[in-house]
Amino acid sequence: MTTTLLVTGAGGVGKTTIAAAMAVHSARLGLRTLVVTVDPARRLATALGLDTLGTEPQPHTEEPLLWAAMLDAGASWKAVAKRHADPDVAERLANNEFFIAASQHFPASQSYAAADSAVTFVQAKAWDVVVVDTPPSGGGIDFFTAPSEMADLVGGRLLRWITGGPIPGRRLFYDRAARPMLRVAGSILGSDLLERVSEFLLDLRTTYDGVSRRGREMERVMSQAATVVVTTADPAPVQEAVRFYRELPAVASTPAAVIFNRALPDIWIEASTPDGSSPELRQLVEWWSLEAQRQHDVRREFSSRHGANVVTVPWSPTPLTDLDRLAALVGRDADLPWESLGIGPDSVST
Amino acid sequence: MLDKRLIVVSGKGGVGKSAVSGGLSLLAQRRGLRVLAIEIGAARGLSSHLSAGHLDFQPKEIRPGLHAMRLVRSEALLEYLSLQLRVPGIGRFGAIARAFDALATAAPAVREIITIGKVLWEVREERWDIVVADSPPTGQIGSYLRAPVSIEELVPSGRIRSQSTWMRETLADPDMTQLVIVNVPEELPTTETLETTKWLEAERLVSDPVVISNRVVNQVTDNSLPRGTAGEMVALHRSIWEEQQTWLSKLEDKGRIPYLFGVFTPGEVAAQMSDHLERIL
Repeated sequence: MTTTLLVTGAGGVGKTTIAAAMAVHSARLGLRTLVVTVDPARRLATALGLDTLGTEPQPHTEEPLLWAAMLDAGASWKAVAKRHADPDVAERLANNEFFIAASQHFPASQSYAAADSAVTFVQAKAWDVVVVDTPPSGGGIDFFTAPSEMADLVGGRLLRWITGGPIPGRRLFYDRAARPMLRVAGSILGSDLLERVSEFLLDLRTTYDGVSRRGREMERVMSQAATVVVTTADPAPVQEAVRFYRELPAVASTPAAVIFNRALPDIWIEASTPDGSSPELRQLVEWWSLEAQRQHDVRREFSSRHGANVVTVPWSPTPLTDLDRLAALVGRDADLPWESLGIGPDSVST
Repeated sequence: MLDKRLIVVSGKGGVGKSAVSGGLSLLAQRRGLRVLAIEIGAARGLSSHLSAGHLDFQPKEIRPGLHAMRLVRSEALLEYLSLQLRVPGIGRFGAIARAFDALATAAPAVREIITIGKVLWEVREERWDIVVADSPPTGQIGSYLRAPVSIEELVPSGRIRSQSTWMRETLADPDMTQLVIVNVPEELPTTETLETTKWLEAERLVSDPVVISNRVVNQVTDNSLPRGTAGEMVALHRSIWEEQQTWLSKLEDKGRIPYLFGVFTPGEVAAQMSDHLERIL
């Protein structure tokens, strides 16, 4: 059985790095591990052996049990069309300006692409562990609601709204002038645009059965996945982390841990400057102990208010460019609950 | 910068866009301007930085001279429809609004023009000297700034098209609009900032966007390294400084806001931001 680990959190907190680090750790425990990543920094991508952009998992050249794959929302949508529509419709969709726009701009599209790929990899049963770096989204659990939103989109809800009734045949759109609502929309948007959008939505609708079936599979895999939330001690990502803590249990699992990245050691709170230090250094030490105190308070409040298992990952000012340093990031000191994540020596399948 | 009518604040997620927007709004208010601060979308960053409580579509005065609102597309759309169709009681237009919203989901630029259009309508209002828009991140800002142009390309006729010209002109007018990109001197944000500025230069949608660097640590001139914990702190500070220098050297910035050590609440952050911005601008 494949263990799925979803790494969630706000953008800009080092989620991609931590997902990569957890994957390296897992591979080194002897588990065949795939990390699915979104938009990694160039040096991190290089470290993961992802110099060539590819949505197919690539084995790492130096780490025998590690694979990595990068996500491309546009490519994944094309795959959806290919899988669930007739060949000629799929072709028409792939070249359709609205399809291309929706694949890039539909709020849930990147999340849907990530979830779809991740589930494909989990179902392949080729890995013991699949670590998914979830894309930054509109906030909270968007990643988990993406399958149903997608099903809604292709299911014709939009079509029904546009036409104000049950799904019509293609030619009904040409009677558009009969419907007052469409006349109004046409006067604002131009009737030509209206027709083209409608044509597109009709094509998209033919994928509905496939997409909604797939959506249920995706939701099943996600509901069985382990989750962690990554944050820093800054107010905005913490607010986001709180949302995840509240919302995740309903769609996946209670987060096994909240990982505070860029953490300063508690021992810094009491730090003092040795006698004879310059005012400049005194000031610096005062600043960093204040910062350590602030971080400590934020973590303590998070843990007591949300009953969270708080784990810290130290501040690493330079990017991690080799696997050893990545593995060390979440190694012994970080104290991650590996066993409850299903990533431990005992999880190695025989 | 505060002599402009509109300041659009963007940047990669997590760099402190809302804090800078909050700081700019407070600074403009302190200088006696009538300010409207707009929070765009679902994020609540700006309202917490302005300690404004819950914001909604109707601007609310949170300090003398400073109003704030939250721009949600569906409400902007209803307002737009009721104004355009000149019919009171927008409730009756629920069905049209839903149809329209459906179109906006599928059609590129329609979604964005409704949002950026509302911001620009507010800029036209005599009530405000300046509008500060805490805008979508750099990954998306392009499609908002380009929305009027995209509409002109995509929509051959219709009312929305006829309004896109003045919108495009307002955004491009250096006396009217200033785009501020907030950056943190680290690899990912800097790469994204550079990509965005390069794209903007090619597209000529706004003139002379400026970059403000955030969370910048100062250089330590004392080269000694104390023993123990103090030494660890100094070492971390120096290596952050060094890494930041690499990225600061890659772009030209209008000013730098220092890392705010030990500052707890979003309100405090914005207040300190406004002091630093005063020095920069």
